[in-house]
Amino acid sequence: MNSAWILLFLPLVVAAANQLVLRKHSLVPYLSTASAAASLVISILLLGKEGNAGFDWASIGDFSLRIGIQLDGLSTGMMLVVTGIGTLVHVFSLAYMKDDEACSRYFTGLSLFMFSMTGIVLADNFIMTFIFWELVGVSSYLLIGHWYQKPSAGDAAKKAFLCNRVGDFGFMVGILLLWSLTGSLAFEDMREGMIRFQDANPALFTGLLSTAVLCIFCGAVGKSAQLPLHVWLPDAMEGPTPVSALIHAATMVAAGVYMLFRLQVSLGAELFEGLFASHVIAWIGATTSLAAALMATQQSDIKKILAYSTLSQLGYMVMAVGLVHGEAGMFHLFTHAWFKALLFLGSGAIIYACHHEQDIWKMGGLLKKMPITAITFLIGTAALIAVPFTSGFFSKELILHAAKESNMTLFIIAAAVAVLTPFYMTRLVVIALLGKSRSDHSDHAKEVGPLMWVPLALLAVLAVIAGWLSGIAPAQPAHAGEFHLNALFFISLGALLIGSSVAFILYRGKDRDPVCIALLRELFYVDRFYDNFLVPVFQNTVAAILHFFDELIINGLLVGGLSRGAASIGQVCRAIQSGKLQYYAFAVGLGVILVVYFTVFY
Amino acid sequence: MLALIVFLPLIAFIAILLGAPARKTAIYSAGANLVLGIYAAVMRDCSCLDFSVQVLSKPEINLAFSTDGMSMVLVLLSVIVTLAAVLSGKAPAGRETLYYGSSLLISAGALGAFATTDLFFFYAFHELALIPTFLMIGILGRGERKAIAWKITIYLGLGSIILLVGLVWLANLAGTMHIPSMVENLSGENALDSGTQKSIAALLIVGFGTLVSLFPFHSWAAPAYASAPAPVAMLHAGVLKKFGLYGLLRIAVPMVPEGMQVWLTPVLVLLLANILWVGYVTVSQRRLDLLGNSSVMHMGYIFLAIAALVAFPENTLAKPAAILLMFAHGISIALLFGLADSIERKTGTLDLEELGGLAKAAPKLAFLFGIAGMASIGLPGLANFAGEVLVFLSAFQGYDPTQGLGSVQIACIISIWGVVISAVYMLRAYRNIFQGPAIPRTESAEDLTFMDRIPAVLLTVVLFAVGLYPNLLLNLLR
Amino acid sequence: MASLNEYLLVSGLLFAIGLAGVVLRRNIIIIFMCLELMLSAANLTLIAFSRFHTVNGLPDYNGQMMVFFVIAVAAAEVAVGLAIIVALYRARQSVQTDQLTALKG
Repeated sequence: MNSAWILLFLPLVVAAANQLVLRKHSLVPYLSTASAAASLVISILLLGKEGNAGFDWASIGDFSLRIGIQLDGLSTGMMLVVTGIGTLVHVFSLAYMKDDEACSRYFTGLSLFMFSMTGIVLADNFIMTFIFWELVGVSSYLLIGHWYQKPSAGDAAKKAFLCNRVGDFGFMVGILLLWSLTGSLAFEDMREGMIRFQDANPALFTGLLSTAVLCIFCGAVGKSAQLPLHVWLPDAMEGPTPVSALIHAATMVAAGVYMLFRLQVSLGAELFEGLFASHVIAWIGATTSLAAALMATQQSDIKKILAYSTLSQLGYMVMAVGLVHGEAGMFHLFTHAWFKALLFLGSGAIIYACHHEQDIWKMGGLLKKMPITAITFLIGTAALIAVPFTSGFFSKELILHAAKESNMTLFIIAAAVAVLTPFYMTRLVVIALLGKSRSDHSDHAKEVGPLMWVPLALLAVLAVIAGWLSGIAPAQPAHAGEFHLNALFFISLGALLIGSSVAFILYRGKDRDPVCIALLRELFYVDRFYDNFLVPVFQNTVAAILHFFDELIINGLLVGGLSRGAASIGQVCRAIQSGKLQYYAFAVGLGVILVVYFTVFY
Repeated sequence: MLALIVFLPLIAFIAILLGAPARKTAIYSAGANLVLGIYAAVMRDCSCLDFSVQVLSKPEINLAFSTDGMSMVLVLLSVIVTLAAVLSGKAPAGRETLYYGSSLLISAGALGAFATTDLFFFYAFHELALIPTFLMIGILGRGERKAIAWKITIYLGLGSIILLVGLVWLANLAGTMHIPSMVENLSGENALDSGTQKSIAALLIVGFGTLVSLFPFHSWAAPAYASAPAPVAMLHAGVLKKFGLYGLLRIAVPMVPEGMQVWLTPVLVLLLANILWVGYVTVSQRRLDLLGNSSVMHMGYIFLAIAALVAFPENTLAKPAAILLMFAHGISIALLFGLADSIERKTGTLDLEELGGLAKAAPKLAFLFGIAGMASIGLPGLANFAGEVLVFLSAFQGYDPTQGLGSVQIACIISIWGVVISAVYMLRAYRNIFQGPAIPRTESAEDLTFMDRIPAVLLTVVLFAVGLYPNLLLNLLR
Repeated sequence: MASLNEYLLVSGLLFAIGLAGVVLRRNIIIIFMCLELMLSAANLTLIAFSRFHTVNGLPDYNGQMMVFFVIAVAAAEVAVGLAIIVALYRARQSVQTDQLTALKG
C-alpha cells in the first residue's frame, strides 16, 4: 500500500520541487522524467495487487470526504498505461522541448498532470475522482496554453477548460444525486446502497438511476470530448505535440471512459442493462464516432486528423460502455492508448523534423527521409485501422461484436466508422509519407535523434503486441486476444480493404485534395454554430442584457429612484421654505383664517 | 488574550495618531496579531482566552470576548488578511496615517465583531469598522470617489439601521444581550411566536443581506471595491463582509428558525440571482473591476449553505461548509484584490482590452494571479473547492430522492452552473491580461518585487494549506 | 349709535388692508406702515369691545388699558424699526425686501 501512496504523491512532490526550488534549473526535465520512470516501476510492481487505504480529507462529525486509494485490476492496469506512456512521453519531450525557453514550466506541468491522472485512476470515491478530474483539467489547461504568447494557444486552453467545466456541472449534479440514492460516495459501498434503494423503491429506481448516470455521463462527455462538447479537443492540438500524445490521446481523454466503467463496475453491470441512460450513452458514443471519422477525412493538419481520429475511437469506447460491454471499451482504451500515443509522438517527430510544419500537403516522401519514424508511424496506423493481429484489431473486434449482439443500427454505424478509419489514415500516410516532397521543410527533414525514436520504437512494439497482453490490461474481456474466422472478421477485413484501397487510389500522387466536401471541412458547422451563435447569444448577449438591467433597474430605478425621490421631495420642501418673510406672513394669515373658520364653523 | 487581539490594532492606531511611524507600526502590530491569532487557535479550548468587563449595568452590557470554532476561524481569517493588507498597501505620500490607521481600525472592528459575545458590541464593532471604510473610499479612492463613498455609506447605513431594529427587538424579547443566553432564552418552550419570528427574520435578512450584498442590495459592492484603495478592498471584501453571514449563522438561524423558514423560498431566489444574474453581469464586464461582482456572486454559495441549514435543521454539513467557504473566499478575494492593485500599479490600467501578454514580463505576478483565479473558480487543492463541494453536499444532506427535488436541491443544482460562469470570466480575464503577445504597455512592466510577494505568498500558502487538507480548518470547528 | 358689528367690520377691513399690504408690498417702509395699520385695527377692536362690554354700567377699562400698552409698545417699535430701516438703507441703498436676500440659502 505504501508504494501506492508514493505513486500518488511522488509527481506532486516533484512538481512542487520544480516550481518552488529548482525553478529554471536544467535539472527540472530530468527530475520529472525520473519521477515518471519511478512511477512506472511502482505501477509494474503493483500489478495484480488489491487493497484499499485512505485518510480523512475533510471531516465533519461522522461525515467525511476521503482521499483513498483503491487497488484492483482496473486501477493497476490503468496505472500501467498512464505511467508507461507518461514515461515515454517524458523521454520524448527531453528532446522535443530542449530548445524551449520555458522547458521547466513544461515539465512541471507534466508532473502535475501525472499526479492528477494517478489520482483519478486510484481514487476510491467519487469526490476524489472529481478533485483529480478538475486537476487534470487544469494541467491540460496549462499545457495547452504552454505557448501562451500565441493567441490561439491561450484561446484553445480556455476553450478546453470551459468545455470541461460545462461537463463537470453535470458531473457534480450526478455525484450529488448518486450520493442521495446510495448514501455513499465510496465506490465500494455504492452497490450495497443502490440495492437497498432498489428494494425499497422498485418503481422509482430505474428513472432515478438513469438521471444520475446521465448527469455523471455529462462529465465524461466533457472530458472524453463526446458530442456536443467535442469542440475543444481538436483545438487542444495547440499544445506541444508530446502533450497531445499523453493527455489528449492516450490518458486524460480516456478518463471519461474509465470513470464510466468504474461506475458500472461499482454499481454492478446488470443494473445498466436496458437502462435508458445506457442507450443514450451508446448513441452519443456512436454518433461521435461517426461524425468525428467523417470530419477527419477532410482535414489537412496532421495533428487535427489524429485528434478527430481520437474522438472517433473514444466514441467507440463510450459506445461499448453504453452497450454494457465496458470491458471491451476498456480493452480498446488500453490498446488505443499505445498506438495513438505512438501516432502522436510520430507526428511530433515529423513536425519537429519539418520545422513545425503541420500541413500534410506540404509534406511527402518522408518514408525515405526519416525511415524509423515513418515505419513506426506505419505500425501505429496499422494498429489503428485494425490490420489483423495488431492490437487495434483485437479490441475493435470486441466492440464490433458487442454492437452486433445488441443493436443492429449501432453495428452499422460502427462498421461505417471501420471503413472511414482506414480511409483517412491511408490518406494521411499516402500524402505525408509516400510520394515526393512538396515543400522545402519536408525536403530538409532528417531522422530524429534516439531520444525521440527509442520511445517510438518501444510504442510500436506495444502497439503490435498489446492485443495479447490482456492479462495486464485494466479490464479483461472474455475473449480478448482470440481470433475466429467468423462473419465479423470478414466484415472488418472488408471494411479495412475498402477504406484503405479507396483512399490509396484517390490520393496517390496528388498534390492537392481531390475531394472537397464543405460540410465535413467545416466540421458540420458545429464550431461555427458555437462561435457565432451559442456563445454570443447565450453567454455574451444574456450577460449584456443582464448587465443592462442591473444598471437600469437595480442601479437606475431602485437605487437611483430612491435617491432621486429623496431629492425631489427636498425640492418641494425647498419651494415652501423660500426664505421670504412675506410668504410666511401670508401663510400665517391663511392659517389663522383656516383655524378661525374651523373653530367657529365646525 | 482575545481582548488583546482585538485591542492591539486599536492601540497601534492610537500610536500612529501619536506619531509612531505608520507603516512599520501597522505591520508589526498585524504580525503580532497573526502570531496571537494562531496561538489562540491552538489554545482554542482554554478559558484563559475569555475576557469580560461590565460596561453598563442596566441594561446589562458587557465587553465580553469568547470564541467557539466558528468565530475562531473568522478571527484567524481577519488576522491573516490584515497582515496581507497592510503589507501590500502603498500609501500615497503624506497620507500614511490615514491609510494605515484606517486599515487597523477596520481590522479591529472586524475582530471585535467576530470575537465578542455581546450583542451591543457585536453591532458596535462592525459600525466602527465601516467608518474608516467610508473615509478611505471618500478620500483616497479611485474614480468618482465622493459619489461612491456616499453610495456605500447610505447603503450600508440603511442596512445597519434595519438590522439594528431587528437586533433591538430580539434583545428586548430575550431580556439579555449575551448572545449565547439569548439563543437559550429564545429556544425550546420560549421560542417566539411565528408572527414575530417572521417579522424579525425579515429585518435580519434584509439587514445582514445588505451588508453581504445579497441581491438586489448588491449594487454598492462593485463600485465600492473598484474605487477602494487595495487594503480596504481586501479587508472589506475579505473579512468585513463576512460579518453579515456570520450574523445570520450566529443570530438569525438559531434565534428565529421558523421565521427564516418562512423566507426560505425568497432567499433561495435571491441567492440564485446573486449567482446567475450577478455572475452574468460579471461576464459582461470588461475591466478587472469584475472582481467586485465576482465576490458578490460567491456570496450566493454561502447563502445556499445557510438556506440548507434553515430548510433542514439537523444538517451537520451546512454550517462548517459555510464557514470554510467564508474563510476560503476571504483569503482568495483578498489575494485577487491585492494582485489587481499590483497590476494597476505596474501597467497603469485594469482595462482588459488594454492589457495582454503580461506573463512574459511579470511571470511571478502571472503565477500568483493564476493561483488566485483558480482558487476563486473552485479548483481542487485550493481552499475554495473544499468549501464549495461541502456546500453542495450540505444542500443534498438528508434529502430523500423518492420525494422529488426540494427547493434547496433545485437551487443547488442551478447554482452549480455558477461554477461554469465564474470560470468564464476568470479565464477570460487571465487570458486577456497575461496571455497572448506582449504589447507595449506590458512589455516593460516590472514583475513583483520581493516585498510585493510576501503578502501574496502568505495568502497563497494559506489557500494551499487549507485546500490540500481542509481538516486543518475543520478541526477548529469540532 | 353704530353697533358693535359695524366697529368690528371696520376693524376687520383695516386689518385685512394691513395684512394685504404686509404680504404684497416690497417696500419695508410701506410694510411697516401696514403693520401699524394692523395694530390700529386691533386697537379699534379692543376699544369697541371695551365700550360695548359694560361692567356695573361702566365700560370695561381693561380693554382700554391694553390699547395704551399697544400704543406705547408700537411707538417704541416704530423708533427701533425706523432706525433699523434707515441703517439698512445706508448699508444697502435699498429698502426693497426682494433685494435684501443676503441670508437666503
